[in-house]
Amino acid sequence: MENLGSLALLLAFCVSIFALVCSVTGALRKNLYLIAAGQRAVYVVWALITTASGILVYGLVSGDYRMMYVATHANKAMPWVYKISAWWGGQEGSLLFWSWILSCYGVAVVFTNRKQFKTMMPWVVGIMSFTQTFFLVLNNFVVPPFTVWAIGRGIITLPDGQGLNPLLQTPSMAIHPPMLYLGYVGFIAPFAFAIGSLINKQPGDEWIHTTRRWTLITWLFQTIGVTLGMGWAYYVLGWGGYWVWDPVENASVLPWITATAFLHSVMMQEKKGMMKVWNMVLVSATFFLCIFGTMLTRSGIVQSVHAFGISSIGNYFAVFLAISIAATVWLILDRLDFLKSESQLESVVSRESTFLFNNLLLLASCFAVLWGTLFPIISEAIGGEKIGVDAPFFNRVNVPIGLFLLFLTGVGPLVAWRRSSIESLKKNFLWPTVGMFVLMIVLFGAGMRSLYALMSFGLCLFVTMTIFSEFIKGTLVIMQKESMNVVRAVVELTHRNTRRYGGYLVHMGVVVMFIGFTGAAFNQDAVIEAALGETFHLGRYDMKITEVKDGETENYAWMKAVVDVSVGGEHIDTLSPERRVYKSSRQPGSNVDIRRRLNEDLFLNFAAMSQKGNGAVIQAYIFPLVSWIWVGFWVVLFGTLVCLVPAKIKYSYARTEVIGTATNVPREAHAKT
Amino acid sequence: MQRLKSLALLTLLATLSIAQNPMDFVSPDIKRVGMKLSCLCGGCRNSVGDCAMIACGYSLPARQKIKQLQTMGSSDASVIGRFVKEQGLKALSEPEATGFGLLGWVMPGFAIALGLIAIVVYVKRFRRPAVITESEVPAALVAEYEDTAARELDRMQS
Repeated sequence: MENLGSLALLLAFCVSIFALVCSVTGALRKNLYLIAAGQRAVYVVWALITTASGILVYGLVSGDYRMMYVATHANKAMPWVYKISAWWGGQEGSLLFWSWILSCYGVAVVFTNRKQFKTMMPWVVGIMSFTQTFFLVLNNFVVPPFTVWAIGRGIITLPDGQGLNPLLQTPSMAIHPPMLYLGYVGFIAPFAFAIGSLINKQPGDEWIHTTRRWTLITWLFQTIGVTLGMGWAYYVLGWGGYWVWDPVENASVLPWITATAFLHSVMMQEKKGMMKVWNMVLVSATFFLCIFGTMLTRSGIVQSVHAFGISSIGNYFAVFLAISIAATVWLILDRLDFLKSESQLESVVSRESTFLFNNLLLLASCFAVLWGTLFPIISEAIGGEKIGVDAPFFNRVNVPIGLFLLFLTGVGPLVAWRRSSIESLKKNFLWPTVGMFVLMIVLFGAGMRSLYALMSFGLCLFVTMTIFSEFIKGTLVIMQKESMNVVRAVVELTHRNTRRYGGYLVHMGVVVMFIGFTGAAFNQDAVIEAALGETFHLGRYDMKITEVKDGETENYAWMKAVVDVSVGGEHIDTLSPERRVYKSSRQPGSNVDIRRRLNEDLFLNFAAMSQKGNGAVIQAYIFPLVSWIWVGFWVVLFGTLVCLVPAKIKYSYARTEVIGTATNVPREAHAKT
Repeated sequence: MQRLKSLALLTLLATLSIAQNPMDFVSPDIKRVGMKLSCLCGGCRNSVGDCAMIACGYSLPARQKIKQLQTMGSSDASVIGRFVKEQGLKALSEPEATGFGLLGWVMPGFAIALGLIAIVVYVKRFRRPAVITESEVPAALVAEYEDTAARELDRMQS
């Protein structure tokens, strides 16, 4: 079977080169046969990589321990779900998984655009095939997944495997990497369209809509992936939080930030034909940051619990990045005339300006995260000594930027395109501003002293009021004109312009998430060593360990502390945090127990056995408002899906401009207009 | 035999757990100093003061050491200095605002400043010059008219 897998990968590599050569040659010579051959080769590459992947997954599930990858990432005792997820649990398998997703995107892009962009598509296929070829080089020659154990000429088989890293044996880890990869890999599609349009000097605006749609889809996957990762860190790693600015976490969020910036600034291009160069830079940067993030995770450049260990694979990524960046920069510079702005900025107080500031802040945040991630490496390379950059640095730099972005989230949508008068600004923002300050004063009066928390809560209300005002205004008009009830009017309003109102929902989700983030300012924690039957306290909770149980499953042995939780003498819950030792790997793991509520989570971790009275050492945390982050995520998800629904009314963006006002027109004539 | 194997595993689990029991209550004094020190376990990016990694091989002994030094009367600065002397500057959770570390702090601000300059340049370059009109209509009315027109166009297009 492993030979068949290797053969399939080798053939995929050859066919991918064929697709690249056919597409580029076909585009240059305008040969339709070659172009068609290139596009069909994309389907063949997908079939071959799917075959190879299927063989690996079959090996993992059936326990073919002759294969090194299977023996080091699976064992007999693992549930079948984790046997499948072992596909992306190690370097070789995850790169094959990457290749497979890339080939899926290739098929999707070719199939959905088979009847449009006739002259641009060969370039799109060429760029995707180039990237696919690079990953197949890695799959075939650098980290092949089908290596077998061998002594001399004889293949040996092991009785059982080592099993998957215990940290990865959780349900969210079965979903988190595929989602993240769908996001990471998916950014190839907008990049390929953008570069294809540059090479081809693609006329019209349709391609930018396609690029935007692909970006939105991959952005959605990336958002799901990052949030699942936060959830995993929260309840599996026992970090006592959901985000600690780990280099690999940072690597995952960098392309997400640039893609977010692009999703905003692309509106300037669609509506005004402006910022074309900038959008090209953003799309390219997003793709390169995806590749850079992959390099960071897999090369061992940085230390992280997520990283795959030290490997020479980073050199291959560095070469790929260098070639791709150089080619992109040259192409953008060469095509500057094609990227000329079609209109001008009419006023500094306009929607266009808010997009500029939005992009500035997002990019500043992106740079700060990148800089903080690389600073230890840079300091070691230049100064000879590694300087530590951890969570406090990132928080100090990013919290103010985040708050300013939140402010723009409220301001941006209510400022008109072209120009806004002071009167209209007053009218739109008076009540939200009043609400914001009133809330801040009330919270201050209630004893809240954290400046950032006060600002964050105030801004959350500000943005919420601006979003609601938009929905209310539109709904009232529809209710009056169409005689609809409120619910139908809201649905109708949203359906008429899904992009606009879906966007508002995404903004609302971000606000809800910010409420959750702000809760971190009030976290409480304690590490308590308590004997059996002894009561301990944290915040308003009284807790008592009533029992320490043990047992085993096929996969691991476990110990569980049963903790009764009460408030004011009334029993409210029983939590059972658990410690495990996985049999095959002998690695310990934990399974925390959380009492989730909207106002706060009570989070218990069974840290260790206690030497006093057969009790346990419990790490107890109170995380206020953390559930709002997960709720906000669902709102963001819903809003993004709404954005992807085609609008009921097809809007065309005429490049109209106010070029002046008529002179000497009598007052009455103005009134009539 | 199976029973014996299970017993051995549970003993291992208990041994591992008890061996990981140097956790002490993190007092505010330890936390204050610990927040300025980085957890160098390699698995997280927390500070020693708030690292909650299970069985962390760095932050738990580091906290004990902080406690020990504080009991001996060491000031916060000298405790931190001791860690820096042993581990180098990577022991700190954020760069110092001196020497090369200053660059770490300055660069994000520099990037924002650069971005602002870029915006100013962009606005200057791409801003349409205001149309000068000679009108008898009062300026306030013209502004109101323009505002209405902009709003209407905005509503039509968005």
